[in-house]
Amino acid sequence: MRSVAERVVAMLVDFELIERARNGDDDAFNQIVQSYRKRILGTIARLIGRPEDVEDVGQEVFLRLFFSLDQLRTAEVFEPWLYRLTVNAAYDYLRRQRRRQESRMSDLSEQQVILADATEGGKRRDEQQHRTRIQEMVQSLLEKVSEEDRILLTLKEVEGLSLKELEKIYHVSENALKVRLFRARQRVLKAFEAETSKSAGRV
Amino acid sequence: MNQMDEGLDALWARYRDSCPDPEPTAQFMPGLWQRIDARRTASASIFRRLSQICVMTTVALILLMAVVLIPRIQNVLVYSATYVDVLLAENGNDDTDLLAMGDI
Repeated sequence: MRSVAERVVAMLVDFELIERARNGDDDAFNQIVQSYRKRILGTIARLIGRPEDVEDVGQEVFLRLFFSLDQLRTAEVFEPWLYRLTVNAAYDYLRRQRRRQESRMSDLSEQQVILADATEGGKRRDEQQHRTRIQEMVQSLLEKVSEEDRILLTLKEVEGLSLKELEKIYHVSENALKVRLFRARQRVLKAFEAETSKSAGRV
Repeated sequence: MNQMDEGLDALWARYRDSCPDPEPTAQFMPGLWQRIDARRTASASIFRRLSQICVMTTVALILLMAVVLIPRIQNVLVYSATYVDVLLAENGNDDTDLLAMGDI
């Protein structure tokens, strides 16, 4: 199991390439996309929880990057900038989804089974099925908070971004982020507790 | 940290592991460039339309000035009279006086 602390945070491209892309070099832009697409698609997958729409949102992120590169002050802030675009695209997607009132999770009894697995480290024969259930479980918990908090919480808890990195992405103070994260986590924790007690009640 | 917090942290970790970074499909890059080109074309056509509107407005203003303002200016007496006419109109009486003195 790869822990969050092991997350690779190194820049994947050099500043010169970013500068070239900023100056309208399509080949440089292509190289940037190829370097970052896997990481960004992974982040999007965990933010939106819908594998079938990940590429579409990912293309939207790089499309926004292409047309906003000239607004980038320096190449040093490229990664927070890219994450900001990712967050915005994911947020737009989630907002559209909520408007459509599509529910990802319907089978509550299944959630309770997953919860027992998640907390006690249950052994599953079908690994893929187990993964899917974990994903659904987390998605259902994250639905208890707003889209903004869901994204913030995922970036912190799942993606493992530090408060400093989040500060650069959100342009707000560390203290404000701490408060927001604490409240969001409390809400998710409450939902998690509710699910756990339901699960315990069934046993 | 209580048991629930630990349970939630474990769940985040499991979620992270259950969602590895997906491999982009072969359609990712062509699809992206298609969208970029479509946006570029749309921006270019908006710019073209805006410039067309600007040109049309300018031409219409020039025509309006030509049709309405220029004839009005021409009708004003100052612009239609010749230099001699203006001199005559202003100094007509002085000339009469001079002629009269010559006769004497």
